[in-house]
Amino acid sequence: MTIDRRSFLFGASGVAALTLAGCGGVKSGGSKSGSSSSGGASSVTTQGFGKPDDVGQARIDAFKKAYPQVTVRINEGDFDPQQFLSSVASGNPTDLVYLERGLIGTYAAKGALQPLDDLISDVDIDTGQYRKPALKQVTVDDKVYGIPEFYNTRNILINGKALREAGMSPQDLSTTDWNKLHANAAKLFRASGSKISRIGFDPKLPEFLPLWAKGNGADLVNEDGSPNLDDPKIIEALTFAYSLIQEQGGWSKFKAFRDTWDIFGSGNEFVKNQAVAFPWEGWYVNVLVQSSPNLDLQSVQFTDRQGNPTSFCDGSAWAIPKGAKNTKAAVQWMKAMTATDTWLQAGAARAKTVEKNKSIFTGLWTANTEADHQVHDKYVKPSGRPGFDQAINNYYASTESAFAINPSKAGSEIKTAWTDAVNRVLAGQQGPEQALKQAQSEAAKAYSAVK
Amino acid sequence: MPAIRPLQNAGLEPEAAERATPSARTLPRGRLTLRRLPYLALLLFASVLFLYPFVWLISASLKPRTEVFDNSLLPHTWRWANYTDVWNYAPVLQWISNSVVVALTAAVTVTLSSALVAFGFAYFRFPLRNVLFGLVLATMMLPGAATMIPVYLIWHRVGLTGTQVPLWGQNLFGSAFYIFLLRQFFLGVPREYFEAARVDGCSFFGLFWRIALPLSRPALIVVLVFEIQASWTDLLRPLIYLQDPNLFTLPRGLKAVIDTFGNGGEQHWEIIMAASLIATVPLIALFALAQRHIMDGIASQGGRKG
Amino acid sequence: MTRTFPARPAESPALPAADRPPGKPRRNRGEIRAAYGFLSPWIIGFVVFTAAPMVISLYLSFTDYDQINAPNYVGGENYRQLLQDPKVALALRNTLIYAVMYVPAAMAVALALAMVLNRVGRAAGFFRTVFYLPVMTPTVAAAALFLLLLNGQKGLINRSLALIGVHGPSWTTDSSWIKPGLALTMLWGLGGTVVIYLAALQQVPKDLYEAAQLDGAGSIARFRRITLPMISGALFFTMIVLTIHSLQMFDQAYTMFFGGQQNSTYANDAALFYVIYLFQQAFGVLHMGYASALAWLLFGIIILITAVQVRLSKRFVYYEGER
Repeated sequence: MTIDRRSFLFGASGVAALTLAGCGGVKSGGSKSGSSSSGGASSVTTQGFGKPDDVGQARIDAFKKAYPQVTVRINEGDFDPQQFLSSVASGNPTDLVYLERGLIGTYAAKGALQPLDDLISDVDIDTGQYRKPALKQVTVDDKVYGIPEFYNTRNILINGKALREAGMSPQDLSTTDWNKLHANAAKLFRASGSKISRIGFDPKLPEFLPLWAKGNGADLVNEDGSPNLDDPKIIEALTFAYSLIQEQGGWSKFKAFRDTWDIFGSGNEFVKNQAVAFPWEGWYVNVLVQSSPNLDLQSVQFTDRQGNPTSFCDGSAWAIPKGAKNTKAAVQWMKAMTATDTWLQAGAARAKTVEKNKSIFTGLWTANTEADHQVHDKYVKPSGRPGFDQAINNYYASTESAFAINPSKAGSEIKTAWTDAVNRVLAGQQGPEQALKQAQSEAAKAYSAVK
Repeated sequence: MPAIRPLQNAGLEPEAAERATPSARTLPRGRLTLRRLPYLALLLFASVLFLYPFVWLISASLKPRTEVFDNSLLPHTWRWANYTDVWNYAPVLQWISNSVVVALTAAVTVTLSSALVAFGFAYFRFPLRNVLFGLVLATMMLPGAATMIPVYLIWHRVGLTGTQVPLWGQNLFGSAFYIFLLRQFFLGVPREYFEAARVDGCSFFGLFWRIALPLSRPALIVVLVFEIQASWTDLLRPLIYLQDPNLFTLPRGLKAVIDTFGNGGEQHWEIIMAASLIATVPLIALFALAQRHIMDGIASQGGRKG
Repeated sequence: MTRTFPARPAESPALPAADRPPGKPRRNRGEIRAAYGFLSPWIIGFVVFTAAPMVISLYLSFTDYDQINAPNYVGGENYRQLLQDPKVALALRNTLIYAVMYVPAAMAVALALAMVLNRVGRAAGFFRTVFYLPVMTPTVAAAALFLLLLNGQKGLINRSLALIGVHGPSWTTDSSWIKPGLALTMLWGLGGTVVIYLAALQQVPKDLYEAAQLDGAGSIARFRRITLPMISGALFFTMIVLTIHSLQMFDQAYTMFFGGQQNSTYANDAALFYVIYLFQQAFGVLHMGYASALAWLLFGIIILITAVQVRLSKRFVYYEGER
């Protein structure tokens, strides 16, 4: 699941809380004569950034302050591959694109993105400040194609009330012992006839297959970027995760039920007792703390079958499309948006929001190591709500041990191949082995075409 | 693409309306009503099926998120803020004005160009006329998807991808279906009108502009309305040609809202419903205004002639 | 098709009549020039937006082209690949199954509604409007609406079915019910077909029925021997139009099941229609050469199906003039 960061605000206070003007762009700067380093007036446009929340806005402000003569226009809406490629192909792309790091290999190989090394040395960005797995994801053939921004990891969030009623502890939903997890998920599942009323444990397929695979000791993509989708361990992992869904009503009912949840609202699936547990990204804690502050939240780290914590991380990056007009301003933007100081300002802005809402600071999860540590030390404090504190600590712990899917020039195609495979399994069209074998041959073909 | 365009032989002669209810005058009323009762009941039931989705849509667009799926007729809590939310999230006003501009441009250009061509086919006799008209009919069968890519590349070559021009540009050159429709109509104009005008020294263009067009108002309105509808609902072309959200038409914008708020994402269905209603209302209003023309046009279509 | 007007005057030598029999050329250069003047928009449009694109498309279908780099001639490779691509087979199967499901259903329901409408006199006007309203709903909005109505767990449709004791399926998530769900969505918009059938029914001469009734024909016999033949033209017309539209299904399925990151995560094979796959290949991954080959395949299939339908119609459609 790749909901972008904007979600922070939507959940709690509704869309109306966003104070930005409606006409599609956040405009600023303009004609003020600046004495800044970037020279004359210019403008920079983005796509894929969605609509900024408080953290995003604070960083945009930081950029505007540093480069007052650059006009910023943010084209709203999430990253859309078709929209992006069409804009590159038509020779009229935005100056910046904001996209998942896992896609960068494919677009770099296609020639849709520019290598950034020269630009990076022009404005002197210290790439050492970013978390290694993140930087690795944006590097293709030793060239950097993106600047990492966020750093999301996954752990298991639990509806504490339902758990207690069932007489279980968070450890009973740990992913160390698959048999136990399977049995407990079945126990927590509720349905009458064909109507599901509560999901016990949602393995989050297809999106978290990499997590289950890693839990079983396998990577979807090899170190060299080639696909490894039909690894027996991955087949076993998918078989298990799928069995959880089969046990709980089967995919079509399971998904239809989940589609009705109010994930970001005060009537969310925990409050309404529609779900007991699932793995999810850290930012969801912030959603929960705002939409349901009195929730009895429990959590447990995702572990492999030996009991070692593991989590897969991903996140977005800024990149520059081929044919972008204003690469200089673009790279200045990248620098400003991900600098340690900027993140600290964003942390201050978030802290303000938190104080206003009498909420909890749940962390920013940035890919800038130093910034992430400083923000944590400065703002993350015991809140008197141990459940939330525990969850936040789990995510910080995972951040240090997380793995990223290995980068590949066919990253997007490989992802499509395994996602489609899992969907075929979920739809009952193929068994895990058959589906992943087909995916492997599709992915291998795409990989050999770009290798 | 509208589901179906049920208009072929837009004669629009006045008898059509009368023919629509022939039995009403030939049989005594009281007995009829009684015999019709079961049919009326059936139609009422069908109407509920057809109308209830609208009611549901309106209601859901005013509910808080948690009530969307409760399926109650009226919201328990009226949440008008859904509409301000849509407004704040997305440049809806911009999208509406884009749609209005594109739809009107598309409709006016295609009506004029098609009428011009149709008049050429209806009035003149010239070598290759039947061959050319056959070609016009043949292009009606050509699936739009077949030429989607090269047409895109052509617009790309002239530097107009990423603008709204490709959404209506082809309309400058007429559209086979409308040419066919209008030709049928022009053929129905008594020829002596034109001849009298010719004797008075009217130019060919004058025949078209001062005689054919004014006499064909109902058919022109039908073409206008059909094209406005087609343009207003088109998703594929805006998907292909528009990347800048400020240029989106309503369906493209609505799709963006659905992608952000919908499926597997934030699931703010109430916002999506509000946006859907906003996209629907203008077309329903247009229908209310032009209903008589649309229905007359369709009703007079000669079913037997297929 | 041409309507004749009683007041047609004697031929005037200065003016060529449109319907003059061929072989009597009385053409005037100025007039021919004027005619082509009137036709010029269409001729230009045909060359630029139909003829040239078809040539370009044919050429591209033999290349590997991604628009970022120059086209690369690959011979018949795209067509070979197309035969082996399981997604092409899947998309074709989905599209055909859907068309076979939807077209007859739409025709039957529309005809039933039209026949009832035809028996209620003036009230028909009101109901006709009601049935036509959904046609005026933008396809994207209708799709979003039905995505919720069709939800298998809490949607209105299954709740209503439950009232009469029917366990509704998971229309939006169960791959064997996705196409029926889409067909249902489309059936909501069949008002146009209803209006056509009603118009056709209203033109069937009433005395035919009266005569048949005197001959002792039952209502089924009257339907089969009078109604169906008399409206066969309209049936045929709608069959062709509905089929062509079904084969190009895009808006609703794309809105409900594709586009955006969330949807691509849950991409359901059952909703992969041909034009969606074509669109994805052409504009999603910029395989424009391959997509051109896909377009030609679609073109061929539509021509084939239409030709079969036209041939069948020769046997079944009753044209008044041919009596």
